[in-house]
Amino acid sequence: MKVRVKAEMCEGHGKCEKAAPEIFKLGDDDISIVLIEGDLPKELEEKAERAYRLCPRQAIELIP
Amino acid sequence: MTAPAIEPSDINLNNPEHFQREEFHELLRILRHRDPVHWNPPGEVSNGFWSITKYEDILFISRRPEIFISSKGIAGPGIKPERLAELDFAAQQQNAGGNASIITMDPPRHVKMRRLVNKGFTPRAVNAMEPEIRRVTNEILDRIAHKGECDFVLEVASQLPLAVICGMMGVEQKDWPLMFELTNKVLGSGDPEYQTDIPEEERGTGQAARLTAMKGLQTMLEYFRGVLEDRRQNPRENDLPTILLEAEVDGEKLTEGDILQFCFLLIVAGNETTRNAISGGLQVLCQHPDQKRALIEDYSLMDTAIEEILRWTSPLHHMARTATEDVELRGKQIRAGDRVLMWYPSANRDEDIFPDPYRFDIRRTPNDHLAFGIGEHFCLGAGFARKELKVMFEELFRRFPDIEVVGPPERLRSTFINGIKHMPVQFTPER
Repeated sequence: MKVRVKAEMCEGHGKCEKAAPEIFKLGDDDISIVLIEGDLPKELEEKAERAYRLCPRQAIELIP
Repeated sequence: MTAPAIEPSDINLNNPEHFQREEFHELLRILRHRDPVHWNPPGEVSNGFWSITKYEDILFISRRPEIFISSKGIAGPGIKPERLAELDFAAQQQNAGGNASIITMDPPRHVKMRRLVNKGFTPRAVNAMEPEIRRVTNEILDRIAHKGECDFVLEVASQLPLAVICGMMGVEQKDWPLMFELTNKVLGSGDPEYQTDIPEEERGTGQAARLTAMKGLQTMLEYFRGVLEDRRQNPRENDLPTILLEAEVDGEKLTEGDILQFCFLLIVAGNETTRNAISGGLQVLCQHPDQKRALIEDYSLMDTAIEEILRWTSPLHHMARTATEDVELRGKQIRAGDRVLMWYPSANRDEDIFPDPYRFDIRRTPNDHLAFGIGEHFCLGAGFARKELKVMFEELFRRFPDIEVVGPPERLRSTFINGIKHMPVQFTPER
C-alpha cells in the first residue's frame, strides 16, 4: 500500500500526523508531507487507514 | 400505559416543531435503528428526501462530492420545481445577487475558491489569533461581570463569534448588532421571533420563512456592496473582502456577485453555529454538575470536553446533497435528482461508532464526531469554533465558576440549525 496527500485539499489539521507520526508530518506551510516513499511496511497499514478515515478534508489517498 | 410506538413511516423530519421541542433525537434513533435510509415523502411545497442517519453512510456520501452535489441546495428538502415560480422565490434569489458561495459549489471550482481564503483559517492562523480571542472574551465577560444574571445567548455566547468573524471581515463594531440581526433572519427564518418584517398574523408560515430569509440576505448583500465600494478605494491588510477583491481563479477576478455571496456566507456561518455550541455546551455542563466541577478543577480536560460538546450539540442538524446518478444504499434505490439529508446528531449518536452514545462524557476518547462534516465541504471555520469554545469556557469558568442555567432555554424553530435563542443564567457577580 502506498500513501499520497492531495496538497490542494490539505488544510493542516494534523489529524494524520497524530494518528500515524511514522507516515505523516506537517510541513512549514502546514501541508502534510508523506515521510515514506513507496510501499508502506505492513505494520503501518492500519495506522494509514485510520489517518485516511480521520482526515477532515479526505486529503489522503491510499493506493493498494 | 405506554405511548403508542412510533413507526418510521410516521416520521416527517421536515417539521421544525420536532427540533424546537427537542423530540428529534428520539425520531432519529428510531430511523437509525429501523430505517437508516428513510424516504421522507414530499410536503405541499417541499420535495421528498432521503434521511440518512448512520455514521458510515454520511461518510460514504461526504466522500463523493461529485455524485452527491451541493449546488442544488444544502439546507432542507428544497421546493418542488413546479411551485418555485408561483412562490416567486427563484426570481428573488437571482435578484439578490445571483452567484453561489463555496458552500453551494461543487468540485473542481469549490476547492479553488476555498483556497483563496483558507490560509486565514488554518490551525496556525487560529493559534496566532488566540490572544486576541482571549482579550475579546474578557471584554464580553466584563460587561456582565457586575450583573449576576443575564441572557447568556444574547450577552455572551453570541458576542464572541460575532466579534471574531466581523473582525476578520473588517465590519465596524457599530454594525455588529446588524450582522447579528441579519444572521438570525437568514438562519432562523422559520422562527416567528425573527420574522419581524412580516405582519404578525402571517408569521410562522413557510412563506413567512422564505421572505424573512430573503430580506436578511438582500440587506446583508447590500451592506457588503458598500464594504466592497470602500475596499476598492482603501484596500486593507488581513481583510477578507480585500483578499477576495484582489483574488483570481483560473486567471479571472471574481465577480461582485461571487464576492458578495462569499462575504455573506462567512458572516452567517461564522457567528450562528459557534454561538449555539457555546450555549449548548454550558447547558449540558450544567446538567452534569460532576463533570462541570471536574472540568473547572482541571483545564487539561478542556480539549476532550470541547469535542464532546461538539458531538453532543451537533450545531447543524443536517446538510443536504442532491444525487447526480442512481446509487444503491442499504438496499434502497436513491435516484439521480433525489435530495439526501445527512443528519449529524444521529451520526454522532450512532451506537456502532460511539460506545454508550447517549452518555455525555467530557473525557470521551476517541471522539471522531461529524459535527463539522467531513471531506470536500468540511467546516472551514472549525479551528476558530474550537478555539472560541475553549477560550470562552476557560475564561467563563475562571471568572464565574458558579454560573448556572436557571430557566428553560428557548430553542430555535428550525430543521437546520440546532439553535438556542435565549438562556437565563445566574452567577456570583465580580466585586
